[in-house]
Amino acid sequence: MSVLAVHPGAYYHIQSFETPRYAGYFDRLARPEQLADVVLSDCNVVLIPCRTPDDRLAPHRDLLRAYLDQGGTLVVTGENEFSAFLPGISFTPQPTNWWWWLEPGADLGVRIARPEHPLFRRLAQRDLTWHLHGWFDVPDGAEVLAVNGEGKPILYVDEVTTEGRMVITSLDPFFHHGSHFMPATTRFLDGFLPWMREELDRKEHS
Amino acid sequence: MSILYIQSHSGGPGAGVARAAQAGDVAIVRERELTPDQIEAADGLITTTHLDQIGWLAYAVPVQRLLARGGRWVFNGHILRPFLPGLAVYMPLLAPKREDLALTRLGEHPIFAGIDQQLLAKNRGVAGFYGRGHNPMPPGATAINGLGPGHLPIDWHWRLPTGGEMLVHAGNEFWGCGDDAELKDLLVYRTIAWTGGRL
Repeated sequence: MSVLAVHPGAYYHIQSFETPRYAGYFDRLARPEQLADVVLSDCNVVLIPCRTPDDRLAPHRDLLRAYLDQGGTLVVTGENEFSAFLPGISFTPQPTNWWWWLEPGADLGVRIARPEHPLFRRLAQRDLTWHLHGWFDVPDGAEVLAVNGEGKPILYVDEVTTEGRMVITSLDPFFHHGSHFMPATTRFLDGFLPWMREELDRKEHS
Repeated sequence: MSILYIQSHSGGPGAGVARAAQAGDVAIVRERELTPDQIEAADGLITTTHLDQIGWLAYAVPVQRLLARGGRWVFNGHILRPFLPGLAVYMPLLAPKREDLALTRLGEHPIFAGIDQQLLAKNRGVAGFYGRGHNPMPPGATAINGLGPGHLPIDWHWRLPTGGEMLVHAGNEFWGCGDDAELKDLLVYRTIAWTGGRL
């Protein structure tokens, strides 16, 4: 059992990682600057949270790639400069409509693409619905779990680009949960983190 | 006067800060490239809601020295690592209702002078963007704006007993709130001017 969360230290990261609601899902916290001193291969999962500054991750691009190539699992959430530190990412930002919910009967457009996936025993569509920040062109063979209103991937699992597994989303739950803002983000983490622990935190993937 | 705007997150600051930097009124420093010597040479600091609060603890001594020589620090965000004696951990509102998010001017400050706080209270008619909690005030601090019927101090000014001054806002940068672009520019201008001792 080993999940390492990269801890960039903004208040929303501190609130998310260090307080009792979710602290138990992370066996170790490491500052981005400490990654070179950590034996990542000891970790079943490495999680990089929302809004980790790109200049703090880019120096570790090769390290993260090596971790993936030995079979590691990397979970990365939104509002990150993904391509600065990950291989095989094609991300298109989209203007964020902060106001979509003001219209009666409004629909942000988020849809679950694979309802049979185990993650969705824990999450409903409303638990993925707060803002959209962009979408991905995913490689052939990647498993798309959720899409935006245009059917573009916003949450997917990539086990084809490397020997490991990347769980990538443009959703930014840690930022909003850690800001005490938007209950859907807390519901998302209430489902996502137990799934991460039970389904991803396993050595046999390596 | 040397004012440092600490750029913590990816990308750059807003247009107002970028213009002020071009004019030489403030220096934008990426947090990862900041050195203690830069703080030792500065007269004022502006930090954003994305500040690496764990990393910032390493600068406690130069920050205290900046304040002790009469410097000023504008802090935005939720304090979860009290950096200085007297500061305390942020307290969020619990399940706030609309009335809990109302803003009230409680005290005057040059940055907010003559500005109707209600213009900052809502974005497109929605309350809550300005802030949804407060950083507890140290003894001797003065509330500028209050939150909700209890007037919880969401903005306050503190003249430290050891010298220097802080303006603390418990939310995203206050100059980004509201729908009035000119007002946002004015707040950026005044924030930099106040931090530099020109206001």
